[in-house]
Amino acid sequence: MKRKLVRFNTLLWVVLLAVQFLPDRTEKDALSPAMVWFVVGAGVFMTLLALRIKTAEGLQLHVDVFCAIFACLIAWTLATAKWNLMRESLFPAPGQVFTQMAEDYSKIFINIGSSLGIIAQGFVLGAVIAIPLGLFFGESARFGKAAGYIAVFLGAIPPVVYIPYGIALLPTFRSVSVFVIFLATFWPTLASTMSGVAHIERRVLDSARVLNVNRPTMLFRIVLPASLPSIFNGLGIGLTISFILLTSAEMIGSKAGMGYYVRYYSDFGDYTRTVVGIIIIGIVITAIMYGFNRLQRRLLRWRG
Amino acid sequence: MRNKIEIKNLSVTYAAKGGQPFTALEDVSVTVADGEFVCVIGSSGCGKSTLLSVLGGLLPATAGSALIDGEPVRGTGTDRGVVFQHYSLFPWMTAKDNIAFGLKQAYRKMPADERARVADEYLEKVGLAGAGEKFPGQLSGGMQQRVAIARALAMDTDILLMDEPFGAIDAKNRTVLQELLLELWEGGAGGRKTIVFVTHDVDEAILLADRIVMLTNSPGRVGRVFDVPFARPRHRAELVRTHEYHALRDELMAIFFHDVGDKIGGAEVVL
Ligand SMILES: Nc1ncnc2c1ncn2[C@@H]1O[C@H](COP(=O)(O)OP(=O)(O)O)[C@@H](O)[C@H]1O
Ligand SMILES: [Mg+2]
Repeated sequence: MKRKLVRFNTLLWVVLLAVQFLPDRTEKDALSPAMVWFVVGAGVFMTLLALRIKTAEGLQLHVDVFCAIFACLIAWTLATAKWNLMRESLFPAPGQVFTQMAEDYSKIFINIGSSLGIIAQGFVLGAVIAIPLGLFFGESARFGKAAGYIAVFLGAIPPVVYIPYGIALLPTFRSVSVFVIFLATFWPTLASTMSGVAHIERRVLDSARVLNVNRPTMLFRIVLPASLPSIFNGLGIGLTISFILLTSAEMIGSKAGMGYYVRYYSDFGDYTRTVVGIIIIGIVITAIMYGFNRLQRRLLRWRG
Repeated sequence: MRNKIEIKNLSVTYAAKGGQPFTALEDVSVTVADGEFVCVIGSSGCGKSTLLSVLGGLLPATAGSALIDGEPVRGTGTDRGVVFQHYSLFPWMTAKDNIAFGLKQAYRKMPADERARVADEYLEKVGLAGAGEKFPGQLSGGMQQRVAIARALAMDTDILLMDEPFGAIDAKNRTVLQELLLELWEGGAGGRKTIVFVTHDVDEAILLADRIVMLTNSPGRVGRVFDVPFARPRHRAELVRTHEYHALRDELMAIFFHDVGDKIGGAEVVL
Protein backbone atom coordinates (compact mmCIF):
# COMPACT_ATOMS: atom_id res chain seq x y z
CA MET A 1 0.00 0.00 0.00
CA LYS A 2 2.68 2.42 1.05
CA ARG A 3 4.89 1.53 -1.87
CA LYS A 4 1.99 2.18 -4.21
CA LEU A 5 1.51 5.73 -2.93
CA VAL A 6 4.91 7.09 -2.00
CA ARG A 7 6.81 7.44 -5.23
CA PHE A 8 8.55 10.12 -7.23
CA ASN A 9 5.28 11.27 -8.74
CA THR A 10 4.02 12.05 -5.24
CA LEU A 11 7.09 14.19 -4.65
CA LEU A 12 6.52 16.09 -7.88
CA TRP A 13 2.90 16.56 -6.94
CA VAL A 14 3.95 18.19 -3.65
CA VAL A 15 6.33 20.46 -5.57
CA LEU A 16 3.56 21.41 -7.98
CA LEU A 17 1.29 22.28 -5.09
CA ALA A 18 3.98 24.29 -3.33
CA VAL A 19 4.82 26.23 -6.49
CA GLN A 20 1.27 27.57 -6.58
CA PHE A 21 1.95 29.57 -3.44
CA LEU A 22 4.79 31.60 -4.94
CA PRO A 23 3.85 35.21 -5.81
CA ASP A 24 2.24 35.72 -9.24
CA ARG A 25 3.64 37.95 -12.01
CA THR A 26 0.41 39.99 -12.44
CA GLU A 27 -3.05 40.43 -11.04
CA LYS A 28 -4.43 38.47 -13.97
CA ASP A 29 -2.50 35.41 -12.96
CA ALA A 30 -3.72 35.61 -9.38
CA LEU A 31 -5.76 32.50 -9.91
CA SER A 32 -3.83 30.34 -7.52
CA PRO A 33 -6.92 29.18 -5.62
CA ALA A 34 -8.29 27.64 -8.83
CA MET A 35 -4.96 26.02 -9.60
CA VAL A 36 -4.66 24.76 -6.04
CA TRP A 37 -8.00 23.04 -6.38
CA PHE A 38 -7.00 21.67 -9.74
CA VAL A 39 -3.77 20.27 -8.30
CA VAL A 40 -5.61 18.74 -5.34
CA GLY A 41 -8.08 17.15 -7.76
CA ALA A 42 -5.26 15.76 -9.86
CA GLY A 43 -3.69 14.28 -6.73
CA VAL A 44 -6.91 12.56 -5.73
CA PHE A 45 -7.39 11.22 -9.26
CA MET A 46 -3.81 9.94 -9.36
CA THR A 47 -4.23 8.16 -6.02
CA LEU A 48 -7.53 6.54 -6.92
CA LEU A 49 -6.03 5.36 -10.20
CA ALA A 50 -2.98 3.91 -8.43
CA LEU A 51 -5.18 1.90 -6.08
CA ARG A 52 -6.85 0.19 -9.05
CA ILE A 53 -3.60 -0.88 -10.71
CA LYS A 54 -2.60 -4.48 -10.09
CA THR A 55 0.65 -5.15 -11.93
CA ALA A 56 4.11 -3.76 -11.19
CA GLU A 57 4.52 -2.64 -14.80
CA GLY A 58 1.19 -0.85 -14.72
CA LEU A 59 2.25 1.00 -11.59
CA GLN A 60 5.57 1.94 -13.14
CA LEU A 61 3.77 3.35 -16.17
CA HIS A 62 1.37 5.24 -13.93
CA VAL A 63 4.26 6.80 -12.00
CA ASP A 64 6.11 7.76 -15.18
CA VAL A 65 3.09 9.32 -16.84
CA PHE A 66 2.15 11.41 -13.80
CA CYS A 67 5.78 12.46 -13.32
CA ALA A 68 5.83 13.74 -16.90
CA ILE A 69 2.53 15.59 -16.48
CA PHE A 70 3.52 17.19 -13.19
CA ALA A 71 6.97 18.14 -14.44
CA CYS A 72 5.39 19.92 -17.41
CA LEU A 73 2.89 21.70 -15.20
CA ILE A 74 5.63 22.82 -12.79
CA ALA A 75 7.78 24.14 -15.62
CA TRP A 76 4.81 25.83 -17.25
CA THR A 77 3.67 27.46 -14.00
CA LEU A 78 7.14 28.73 -13.14
CA ALA A 79 7.91 29.99 -16.64
CA THR A 80 4.68 31.95 -16.89
CA ALA A 81 2.81 32.95 -13.74
CA LYS A 82 5.66 32.82 -11.27
CA TRP A 83 8.96 33.87 -12.83
CA ASN A 84 7.56 35.59 -15.91
CA LEU A 85 10.11 34.17 -18.35
CA MET A 86 7.72 34.09 -21.33
CA ARG A 87 5.69 36.86 -22.92
CA GLU A 88 2.45 37.14 -21.07
CA SER A 89 0.30 37.92 -24.13
CA LEU A 90 1.47 34.79 -25.93
CA PHE A 91 1.92 32.35 -23.08
CA PRO A 92 -1.01 32.05 -20.69
CA ALA A 93 -0.41 30.54 -17.28
CA PRO A 94 -1.95 27.13 -16.51
CA GLY A 95 -4.26 28.75 -13.98
CA GLN A 96 -5.71 30.99 -16.70
CA VAL A 97 -6.08 28.08 -19.09
CA PHE A 98 -7.88 25.83 -16.64
CA THR A 99 -10.11 28.62 -15.43
CA GLN A 100 -10.99 29.47 -19.01
CA MET A 101 -11.71 25.83 -19.69
CA ALA A 102 -14.16 25.71 -16.79
CA GLU A 103 -15.84 28.96 -17.89
CA ASP A 104 -16.20 27.86 -21.51
CA TYR A 105 -17.29 24.34 -20.85
CA SER A 106 -20.70 24.56 -22.52
CA LYS A 107 -19.19 26.19 -25.61
CA ILE A 108 -16.52 23.51 -25.66
CA PHE A 109 -19.06 20.72 -25.38
CA ILE A 110 -21.09 22.11 -28.25
CA ASN A 111 -18.00 22.32 -30.46
CA ILE A 112 -16.82 18.84 -29.49
CA GLY A 113 -20.30 17.57 -30.25
CA SER A 114 -20.21 19.17 -33.68
CA SER A 115 -16.79 17.67 -34.49
CA LEU A 116 -17.66 14.22 -33.21
CA GLY A 117 -20.98 14.21 -35.03
CA ILE A 118 -19.21 14.76 -38.33
CA ILE A 119 -16.53 12.17 -37.57
CA ALA A 120 -19.10 9.61 -36.48
CA GLN A 121 -21.25 10.11 -39.56
CA GLY A 122 -18.42 10.10 -42.09
CA PHE A 123 -16.46 7.33 -40.41
CA VAL A 124 -19.39 4.98 -39.83
CA LEU A 125 -20.68 5.57 -43.35
CA GLY A 126 -17.24 4.92 -44.83
CA ALA A 127 -16.73 1.75 -42.80
CA VAL A 128 -20.22 0.39 -43.40
CA ILE A 129 -19.89 0.78 -47.16
CA ALA A 130 -16.22 -0.13 -47.53
CA ILE A 131 -16.25 -3.39 -45.54
CA PRO A 132 -18.98 -5.23 -47.49
CA LEU A 133 -17.59 -3.93 -50.79
CA GLY A 134 -14.11 -5.05 -49.75
CA LEU A 135 -15.41 -8.49 -48.84
CA PHE A 136 -17.15 -8.76 -52.19
CA PHE A 137 -14.22 -7.54 -54.29
CA GLY A 138 -11.72 -9.52 -52.24
CA GLU A 139 -13.71 -12.69 -52.86
CA SER A 140 -14.41 -12.08 -56.52
CA ALA A 141 -11.83 -13.56 -58.83
CA ARG A 142 -13.06 -11.43 -61.71
CA PHE A 143 -13.59 -7.97 -60.21
CA GLY A 144 -11.01 -8.19 -57.45
CA LYS A 145 -7.96 -7.24 -59.51
CA ALA A 146 -9.59 -4.33 -61.34
CA ALA A 147 -11.07 -3.02 -58.10
CA GLY A 148 -7.61 -3.22 -56.53
CA TYR A 149 -6.05 -0.99 -59.20
CA ILE A 150 -8.91 1.49 -59.10
CA ALA A 151 -8.75 1.65 -55.31
CA VAL A 152 -5.01 2.34 -55.43
CA PHE A 153 -5.55 5.23 -57.85
CA LEU A 154 -8.54 6.83 -56.16
CA GLY A 155 -7.18 6.16 -52.70
CA ALA A 156 -3.96 7.96 -53.58
CA ILE A 157 -5.80 11.27 -53.98
CA PRO A 158 -5.68 13.08 -50.64
CA PRO A 159 -9.33 13.71 -49.72
CA VAL A 160 -8.49 17.27 -48.70
CA VAL A 161 -8.31 18.28 -52.39
CA TYR A 162 -12.05 17.64 -52.69
CA ILE A 163 -12.88 20.39 -50.22
CA PRO A 164 -13.16 23.34 -52.66
CA TYR A 165 -15.07 21.23 -55.17
CA GLY A 166 -17.24 19.85 -52.40
CA ILE A 167 -18.10 23.35 -51.25
CA ALA A 168 -19.38 24.08 -54.75
CA LEU A 169 -21.31 20.82 -55.01
CA LEU A 170 -22.75 20.25 -51.59
CA PRO A 171 -25.27 22.42 -49.73
CA THR A 172 -23.49 22.92 -46.40
CA PHE A 173 -19.96 22.99 -45.13
CA ARG A 174 -20.95 20.26 -42.72
CA SER A 175 -21.91 17.91 -45.55
CA VAL A 176 -18.57 18.66 -47.23
CA SER A 177 -16.80 17.67 -44.02
CA VAL A 178 -18.80 14.46 -43.71
CA PHE A 179 -18.01 13.65 -47.33
CA VAL A 180 -14.29 14.21 -46.85
CA ILE A 181 -14.23 12.08 -43.68
CA PHE A 182 -16.18 9.44 -45.56
CA LEU A 183 -13.50 9.31 -48.26
CA ALA A 184 -10.69 9.35 -45.72
CA THR A 185 -12.18 6.24 -44.12
CA PHE A 186 -13.52 4.55 -47.21
CA TRP A 187 -10.35 4.06 -49.25
CA PRO A 188 -7.99 2.68 -46.61
CA THR A 189 -10.76 0.44 -45.26
CA LEU A 190 -11.65 -0.86 -48.71
CA ALA A 191 -8.01 -1.58 -49.51
CA SER A 192 -7.30 -3.28 -46.19
CA THR A 193 -10.47 -5.37 -46.36
CA MET A 194 -9.63 -6.58 -49.85
CA SER A 195 -6.08 -7.38 -48.86
CA GLY A 196 -7.34 -9.15 -45.72
CA VAL A 197 -9.68 -11.33 -47.75
CA ALA A 198 -7.01 -12.07 -50.34
CA HIS A 199 -4.57 -13.24 -47.68
CA ILE A 200 -6.80 -15.69 -45.86
CA GLU A 201 -5.08 -19.08 -45.66
CA ARG A 202 -6.55 -21.45 -48.21
CA ARG A 203 -6.61 -24.14 -45.56
CA VAL A 204 -8.94 -22.01 -43.42
CA LEU A 205 -11.33 -21.69 -46.35
CA ASP A 206 -11.06 -25.44 -47.01
CA SER A 207 -11.93 -26.16 -43.39
CA ALA A 208 -15.05 -24.07 -43.82
CA ARG A 209 -15.93 -25.64 -47.17
CA VAL A 210 -15.77 -29.18 -45.83
CA LEU A 211 -18.36 -28.08 -43.25
CA ASN A 212 -20.57 -27.30 -46.22
CA VAL A 213 -21.19 -23.68 -45.24
CA ASN A 214 -23.49 -21.60 -47.42
CA ARG A 215 -22.43 -18.30 -48.90
CA PRO A 216 -23.70 -15.89 -46.22
CA THR A 217 -22.18 -18.06 -43.49
CA MET A 218 -18.90 -18.20 -45.38
CA LEU A 219 -18.87 -14.44 -45.72
CA PHE A 220 -19.91 -13.43 -42.22
CA ARG A 221 -18.63 -16.23 -39.99
CA ILE A 222 -15.42 -17.10 -41.85
CA VAL A 223 -14.19 -14.47 -44.31
CA LEU A 224 -15.16 -11.42 -42.21
CA PRO A 225 -13.55 -12.54 -38.93
CA ALA A 226 -10.51 -13.91 -40.76
CA SER A 227 -9.87 -10.53 -42.39
CA LEU A 228 -10.82 -8.47 -39.34
CA PRO A 229 -7.21 -7.83 -38.21
CA SER A 230 -6.48 -6.30 -41.61
CA ILE A 231 -9.78 -4.39 -41.64
CA PHE A 232 -8.87 -2.78 -38.33
CA ASN A 233 -5.57 -1.58 -39.80
CA GLY A 234 -7.53 0.29 -42.47
CA LEU A 235 -10.05 1.67 -40.00
CA GLY A 236 -7.26 2.93 -37.74
CA ILE A 237 -5.59 4.74 -40.64
CA GLY A 238 -8.96 6.17 -41.68
CA LEU A 239 -9.70 7.43 -38.18
CA THR A 240 -6.31 9.10 -37.82
CA ILE A 241 -6.58 10.82 -41.19
CA SER A 242 -10.17 11.83 -40.38
CA PHE A 243 -9.07 13.79 -37.32
CA ILE A 244 -6.33 15.59 -39.21
CA LEU A 245 -8.69 16.45 -42.05
CA LEU A 246 -11.58 17.51 -39.90
CA THR A 247 -9.64 19.89 -37.65
CA SER A 248 -8.00 21.38 -40.76
CA ALA A 249 -11.35 21.73 -42.52
CA GLU A 250 -12.91 23.35 -39.47
CA MET A 251 -10.10 25.88 -39.42
CA ILE A 252 -10.62 26.72 -43.10
CA GLY A 253 -14.30 27.32 -43.37
CA SER A 254 -16.48 26.05 -40.58
CA LYS A 255 -18.55 27.91 -38.03
CA ALA A 256 -18.42 25.10 -35.50
CA GLY A 257 -16.11 22.44 -34.14
CA MET A 258 -12.92 22.36 -32.15
CA GLY A 259 -10.76 23.45 -35.08
CA TYR A 260 -13.05 26.47 -35.49
CA TYR A 261 -12.78 27.28 -31.77
CA VAL A 262 -8.98 27.36 -31.96
CA ARG A 263 -8.83 29.44 -35.13
CA TYR A 264 -11.56 31.88 -34.09
CA TYR A 265 -9.88 32.84 -30.81
CA SER A 266 -6.37 32.91 -32.19
CA ASP A 267 -7.62 35.41 -34.80
CA PHE A 268 -8.56 37.64 -31.86
CA GLY A 269 -5.23 37.04 -30.16
CA ASP A 270 -6.94 35.18 -27.35
CA TYR A 271 -4.17 32.67 -26.82
CA THR A 272 -5.58 31.43 -23.56
CA ARG A 273 -8.52 29.97 -25.42
CA THR A 274 -6.22 28.81 -28.23
CA VAL A 275 -4.30 26.73 -25.74
CA VAL A 276 -7.58 25.53 -24.20
CA GLY A 277 -8.69 24.34 -27.64
CA ILE A 278 -5.42 22.59 -28.37
CA ILE A 279 -5.48 20.73 -25.05
CA ILE A 280 -9.12 19.73 -25.49
CA ILE A 281 -8.49 18.44 -29.02
CA GLY A 282 -5.62 16.35 -27.68
CA ILE A 283 -7.76 14.91 -24.90
CA VAL A 284 -10.73 14.13 -27.16
CA ILE A 285 -8.68 12.41 -29.85
CA THR A 286 -6.71 10.43 -27.27
CA ALA A 287 -9.95 9.27 -25.65
CA ILE A 288 -11.42 8.18 -28.99
CA MET A 289 -8.28 6.37 -30.09
CA TYR A 290 -8.25 4.64 -26.69
CA GLY A 291 -11.84 3.51 -27.20
CA PHE A 292 -11.04 2.37 -30.72
CA ASN A 293 -8.06 0.34 -29.51
CA ARG A 294 -10.15 -1.20 -26.74
CA LEU A 295 -12.76 -2.25 -29.28
CA GLN A 296 -10.08 -3.67 -31.54
CA ARG A 297 -8.49 -5.66 -28.72
CA ARG A 298 -11.89 -6.93 -27.66
CA LEU A 299 -12.88 -8.09 -31.15
CA LEU A 300 -9.46 -9.56 -31.88
CA ARG A 301 -8.88 -11.09 -28.46
CA TRP A 302 -8.70 -14.52 -30.09
CA ARG A 303 -5.34 -13.55 -31.53
CA GLY A 304 -3.94 -13.81 -28.00
CA MET B 1 -19.37 -56.14 -46.37
CA ARG B 2 -20.90 -53.22 -48.23
CA ASN B 3 -18.50 -50.74 -49.83
CA LYS B 4 -18.82 -47.33 -48.27
CA ILE B 5 -16.24 -45.68 -50.47
CA GLU B 6 -15.28 -46.76 -53.96
CA ILE B 7 -12.49 -45.04 -55.82
CA LYS B 8 -12.31 -46.23 -59.39
CA ASN B 9 -9.39 -45.45 -61.73
CA LEU B 10 -9.09 -42.00 -60.23
CA SER B 11 -6.69 -39.52 -61.78
CA VAL B 12 -6.16 -35.94 -60.68
CA THR B 13 -4.22 -33.44 -62.72
CA TYR B 14 -3.55 -29.97 -61.39
CA ALA B 15 -3.99 -27.30 -64.04
CA ALA B 16 -0.85 -25.62 -65.29
CA LYS B 17 -0.04 -22.47 -63.36
CA GLY B 18 2.65 -21.07 -65.59
CA GLY B 19 4.31 -24.49 -65.91
CA GLN B 20 3.27 -27.98 -66.97
CA PRO B 21 -0.01 -29.52 -65.82
CA PHE B 22 0.89 -31.80 -62.94
CA THR B 23 -0.56 -35.27 -62.50
CA ALA B 24 -0.76 -35.91 -58.79
CA LEU B 25 -2.75 -39.16 -58.88
CA GLU B 26 -2.99 -41.68 -61.69
CA ASP B 27 -5.36 -44.60 -62.01
CA VAL B 28 -5.94 -45.06 -58.31
CA SER B 29 -8.51 -47.67 -57.29
CA VAL B 30 -9.35 -48.28 -53.64
CA THR B 31 -12.46 -49.50 -51.89
CA VAL B 32 -13.25 -48.96 -48.25
CA ALA B 33 -15.85 -51.11 -46.53
CA ASP B 34 -18.49 -49.71 -44.19
CA GLY B 35 -16.96 -49.33 -40.74
CA GLU B 36 -13.44 -49.92 -41.96
CA PHE B 37 -10.37 -48.00 -40.83
CA VAL B 38 -8.03 -47.50 -43.78
CA CYS B 39 -4.69 -45.77 -43.53
CA VAL B 40 -3.16 -44.22 -46.62
CA ILE B 41 0.57 -44.08 -46.34
CA GLY B 42 3.18 -42.68 -48.66
CA SER B 43 6.04 -40.23 -48.76
CA SER B 44 5.53 -36.50 -48.92
CA GLY B 45 4.10 -35.23 -52.21
CA CYS B 46 2.76 -38.58 -53.42
CA GLY B 47 -0.83 -37.30 -53.52
CA LYS B 48 -2.29 -38.36 -50.16
CA SER B 49 -3.87 -34.97 -49.49
CA THR B 50 -5.07 -34.84 -53.07
CA LEU B 51 -6.86 -38.15 -52.61
CA LEU B 52 -8.51 -36.92 -49.43
CA SER B 53 -9.51 -33.64 -51.09
CA VAL B 54 -11.35 -35.58 -53.77
CA LEU B 55 -13.18 -37.62 -51.14
CA GLY B 56 -13.95 -34.47 -49.18
CA GLY B 57 -15.40 -32.84 -52.28
CA LEU B 58 -12.86 -30.02 -52.38
CA LEU B 59 -11.35 -31.15 -55.65
CA PRO B 60 -12.97 -32.75 -58.73
CA ALA B 61 -11.62 -35.94 -60.26
CA THR B 62 -9.90 -35.36 -63.58
CA ALA B 63 -10.68 -38.92 -64.69
CA GLY B 64 -12.27 -41.93 -63.03
CA SER B 65 -14.61 -41.56 -60.13
CA ALA B 66 -14.99 -41.46 -56.37
CA LEU B 67 -18.25 -42.96 -55.07
CA ILE B 68 -19.70 -42.74 -51.61
CA ASP B 69 -22.60 -45.10 -50.93
CA GLY B 70 -22.60 -45.74 -54.65
CA GLU B 71 -23.10 -42.06 -55.52
CA PRO B 72 -20.39 -39.94 -57.15
CA VAL B 73 -18.98 -37.29 -54.81
CA ARG B 74 -20.39 -33.92 -55.79
CA GLY B 75 -18.88 -31.20 -53.67
CA THR B 76 -18.62 -31.01 -49.93
CA GLY B 77 -21.19 -32.48 -47.59
CA THR B 78 -21.84 -32.98 -43.92
CA ASP B 79 -21.91 -36.75 -44.36
CA ARG B 80 -18.10 -36.52 -44.14
CA GLY B 81 -16.12 -35.10 -41.26
CA VAL B 82 -12.65 -33.80 -42.07
CA VAL B 83 -9.68 -33.21 -39.79
CA PHE B 84 -6.61 -31.53 -41.26
CA GLN B 85 -3.13 -31.28 -39.86
CA HIS B 86 -3.53 -27.53 -39.37
CA TYR B 87 -6.32 -24.99 -39.38
CA SER B 88 -9.22 -27.35 -38.93
CA LEU B 89 -10.41 -24.98 -36.21
CA PHE B 90 -11.38 -21.36 -36.73
CA PRO B 91 -9.12 -19.24 -34.53
CA TRP B 92 -11.82 -16.65 -33.81
CA MET B 93 -14.21 -19.17 -32.30
CA THR B 94 -13.71 -20.72 -28.88
CA ALA B 95 -13.21 -24.48 -28.70
CA LYS B 96 -16.84 -24.90 -27.79
CA ASP B 97 -18.06 -22.53 -30.52
CA ASN B 98 -16.00 -24.43 -33.07
CA ILE B 99 -17.83 -27.63 -32.18
CA ALA B 100 -21.20 -25.89 -31.99
CA PHE B 101 -20.55 -24.33 -35.41
CA GLY B 102 -19.91 -27.77 -36.88
CA LEU B 103 -23.11 -29.04 -35.28
CA LYS B 104 -25.07 -26.16 -36.72
CA GLN B 105 -23.77 -27.00 -40.16
CA ALA B 106 -24.63 -30.67 -39.80
CA TYR B 107 -27.99 -30.24 -38.07
CA ARG B 108 -29.58 -26.98 -39.18
CA LYS B 109 -32.52 -27.42 -36.87
CA MET B 110 -30.67 -28.25 -33.66
CA PRO B 111 -31.43 -25.53 -31.08
CA ALA B 112 -28.55 -23.51 -29.65
CA ASP B 113 -28.72 -24.89 -26.12
CA GLU B 114 -28.68 -28.44 -27.48
CA ARG B 115 -25.63 -27.58 -29.56
CA ALA B 116 -23.90 -26.21 -26.48
CA ARG B 117 -24.75 -29.34 -24.51
CA VAL B 118 -23.45 -31.71 -27.21
CA ALA B 119 -20.31 -29.59 -27.60
CA ASP B 120 -19.60 -29.89 -23.88
CA GLU B 121 -20.24 -33.61 -23.99
CA TYR B 122 -17.68 -34.15 -26.75
CA LEU B 123 -15.13 -31.83 -25.18
CA GLU B 124 -15.34 -34.04 -22.14
CA LYS B 125 -14.91 -37.16 -24.28
CA VAL B 126 -11.60 -35.87 -25.61
CA GLY B 127 -10.46 -34.84 -22.14
CA LEU B 128 -10.91 -31.09 -22.52
CA ALA B 129 -13.88 -30.50 -20.25
CA GLY B 130 -12.52 -27.22 -18.86
CA ALA B 131 -11.21 -25.72 -22.08
CA GLY B 132 -14.46 -24.85 -23.87
CA GLU B 133 -14.08 -21.10 -23.56
CA LYS B 134 -10.48 -21.08 -24.78
CA PHE B 135 -9.56 -19.93 -28.25
CA PRO B 136 -7.48 -22.32 -30.41
CA GLY B 137 -4.53 -19.95 -30.10
CA GLN B 138 -4.56 -20.54 -26.36
CA LEU B 139 -4.42 -24.34 -26.78
CA SER B 140 -1.43 -26.53 -27.56
CA GLY B 141 -1.26 -28.28 -30.94
CA GLY B 142 -2.37 -31.54 -29.37
CA MET B 143 -5.33 -29.92 -27.65
CA GLN B 144 -6.35 -28.23 -30.90
CA GLN B 145 -6.43 -31.60 -32.65
CA ARG B 146 -8.51 -33.01 -29.80
CA VAL B 147 -11.05 -30.26 -30.40
CA ALA B 148 -10.99 -30.90 -34.15
CA ILE B 149 -11.62 -34.61 -33.50
CA ALA B 150 -14.36 -33.75 -31.01
CA ARG B 151 -16.05 -31.62 -33.66
CA ALA B 152 -15.82 -34.32 -36.30
CA LEU B 153 -17.20 -36.91 -33.88
CA ALA B 154 -19.93 -34.62 -32.57
CA MET B 155 -21.17 -34.09 -36.11
CA ASP B 156 -21.62 -37.86 -36.14
CA THR B 157 -20.80 -38.29 -39.80
CA ASP B 158 -20.61 -41.75 -41.35
CA ILE B 159 -17.18 -41.05 -42.72
CA LEU B 160 -14.13 -39.41 -41.18
CA LEU B 161 -11.37 -38.13 -43.43
CA MET B 162 -8.19 -37.35 -41.54
CA ASP B 163 -5.14 -35.81 -43.22
CA GLU B 164 -2.08 -36.38 -41.05
CA PRO B 165 -3.98 -35.14 -38.02
CA PHE B 166 -1.15 -35.99 -35.63
CA GLY B 167 1.67 -35.11 -38.00
CA ALA B 168 2.66 -31.94 -36.16
CA ILE B 169 2.30 -33.33 -32.63
CA ASP B 170 5.27 -34.40 -30.51
CA ALA B 171 5.82 -38.14 -30.14
CA LYS B 172 4.44 -38.51 -26.63
CA ASN B 173 1.22 -36.63 -27.29
CA ARG B 174 0.83 -38.36 -30.63
CA THR B 175 0.73 -41.71 -28.84
CA VAL B 176 -1.91 -40.41 -26.45
CA LEU B 177 -4.01 -39.06 -29.32
CA GLN B 178 -3.75 -42.29 -31.31
CA GLU B 179 -5.04 -44.28 -28.36
CA LEU B 180 -7.81 -41.75 -27.80
CA LEU B 181 -8.91 -41.99 -31.42
CA LEU B 182 -8.86 -45.80 -31.28
CA GLU B 183 -10.83 -45.83 -28.07
CA LEU B 184 -13.47 -43.46 -29.41
CA TRP B 185 -13.73 -45.26 -32.72
CA GLU B 186 -13.73 -48.84 -31.37
CA GLY B 187 -16.22 -47.94 -28.67
CA GLY B 188 -18.39 -45.79 -30.94
CA ALA B 189 -22.07 -46.19 -30.19
CA GLY B 190 -24.22 -47.12 -33.19
CA GLY B 191 -21.47 -48.84 -35.13
CA ARG B 192 -18.00 -47.84 -36.18
CA LYS B 193 -17.43 -45.00 -38.57
CA THR B 194 -15.60 -45.44 -41.83
CA ILE B 195 -12.22 -43.72 -41.54
CA VAL B 196 -9.68 -42.81 -44.17
CA PHE B 197 -6.60 -41.70 -42.32
CA VAL B 198 -3.55 -40.27 -44.09
CA THR B 199 -0.17 -40.60 -42.46
CA HIS B 200 3.48 -41.00 -43.32
CA ASP B 201 4.15 -42.85 -40.05
CA VAL B 202 4.32 -46.63 -40.48
CA ASP B 203 3.82 -47.36 -36.75
CA GLU B 204 0.77 -45.12 -36.63
CA ALA B 205 -0.71 -46.91 -39.63
CA ILE B 206 -0.21 -50.39 -38.13
CA LEU B 207 -1.67 -49.38 -34.79
CA LEU B 208 -4.78 -47.82 -36.28
CA ALA B 209 -5.67 -49.49 -39.56
CA ASP B 210 -7.63 -52.51 -40.71
CA ARG B 211 -5.90 -52.06 -44.03
CA ILE B 212 -2.99 -49.97 -45.20
CA VAL B 213 -2.93 -48.55 -48.72
CA MET B 214 0.54 -47.57 -49.79
CA LEU B 215 0.84 -44.91 -52.47
CA THR B 216 3.91 -44.66 -54.63
CA ASN B 217 5.32 -41.46 -55.95
CA SER B 218 5.22 -39.34 -59.11
CA PRO B 219 2.51 -39.76 -60.18
CA GLY B 220 0.77 -41.21 -57.15
CA ARG B 221 -0.45 -44.76 -57.72
CA VAL B 222 -1.52 -47.50 -55.40
CA GLY B 223 1.60 -49.49 -54.63
CA ARG B 224 0.44 -52.28 -52.38
CA VAL B 225 -2.35 -52.90 -49.95
CA PHE B 226 -1.71 -54.65 -46.63
CA ASP B 227 -4.17 -56.25 -44.28
CA VAL B 228 -3.56 -55.53 -40.63
CA PRO B 229 -5.13 -58.56 -38.96
CA PHE B 230 -4.48 -57.71 -35.31
CA ALA B 231 -7.39 -58.11 -32.92
CA ARG B 232 -9.20 -55.12 -31.48
CA PRO B 233 -9.32 -53.37 -29.12
CA ARG B 234 -5.66 -52.74 -29.76
CA HIS B 235 -3.15 -51.38 -27.32
CA ARG B 236 0.21 -50.19 -28.44
CA ALA B 237 2.09 -51.65 -25.49
CA GLU B 238 0.76 -55.16 -26.15
CA LEU B 239 0.95 -54.88 -29.91
CA VAL B 240 4.62 -53.98 -30.09
CA ARG B 241 5.51 -57.09 -28.08
CA THR B 242 4.17 -59.45 -30.74
CA HIS B 243 6.29 -61.02 -33.44
CA GLU B 244 3.64 -60.37 -36.10
CA TYR B 245 3.76 -56.63 -35.47
CA HIS B 246 7.47 -56.51 -36.19
CA ALA B 247 7.21 -58.73 -39.22
CA LEU B 248 4.61 -56.44 -40.77
CA ARG B 249 6.49 -53.34 -39.75
CA ASP B 250 9.72 -54.62 -41.34
CA GLU B 251 7.91 -55.45 -44.55
CA LEU B 252 6.25 -52.06 -44.74
CA MET B 253 9.46 -50.23 -43.93
CA ALA B 254 11.37 -52.11 -46.60
CA ILE B 255 8.85 -51.24 -49.28
CA PHE B 256 8.28 -47.72 -48.04
CA PHE B 257 11.94 -46.81 -48.10
CA HIS B 258 12.58 -48.72 -51.29
CA ASP B 259 10.01 -46.49 -52.95
CA VAL B 260 11.55 -43.36 -51.53
CA GLY B 261 14.93 -44.55 -52.74
CA ASP B 262 13.56 -45.11 -56.24
CA LYS B 263 12.22 -41.63 -56.32
CA ILE B 264 15.40 -39.89 -55.28
CA GLY B 265 17.68 -41.86 -57.55
CA GLY B 266 17.79 -45.57 -56.96
CA ALA B 267 20.70 -47.54 -55.68
CA GLU B 268 23.10 -44.74 -54.80
CA VAL B 269 20.80 -43.45 -52.13
CA VAL B 270 21.61 -44.55 -48.62
CA LEU B 271 18.84 -43.94 -46.15
N1 LIG C 1 -3.03 -26.88 -56.04
C1 LIG C 1 -1.99 -27.54 -56.58
N2 LIG C 1 -1.50 -27.16 -57.79
C2 LIG C 1 -0.46 -27.81 -58.34
N3 LIG C 1 0.16 -28.85 -57.78
C3 LIG C 1 -0.28 -29.29 -56.59
C4 LIG C 1 -1.37 -28.65 -55.92
N4 LIG C 1 -1.59 -29.28 -54.76
C5 LIG C 1 -0.67 -30.27 -54.68
N5 LIG C 1 0.11 -30.27 -55.79
C6 LIG C 1 1.19 -31.24 -56.08
O1 LIG C 1 0.63 -32.51 -56.11
C7 LIG C 1 1.47 -33.44 -55.48
C8 LIG C 1 0.71 -34.18 -54.42
O2 LIG C 1 0.37 -33.26 -53.38
P1 LIG C 1 -0.33 -33.72 -52.05
O3 LIG C 1 -1.57 -34.45 -52.38
O4 LIG C 1 -0.46 -32.53 -51.19
O5 LIG C 1 0.76 -34.72 -51.45
P2 LIG C 1 0.89 -35.33 -50.00
O6 LIG C 1 -0.30 -34.95 -49.20
O7 LIG C 1 1.00 -36.80 -50.22
O8 LIG C 1 2.16 -34.80 -49.42
C9 LIG C 1 2.66 -32.67 -54.95
O9 LIG C 1 3.75 -32.86 -55.82
C10 LIG C 1 2.21 -31.25 -54.98
O10 LIG C 1 3.28 -30.40 -55.25
MG1 LIG D 1 -0.44 -33.81 -47.43
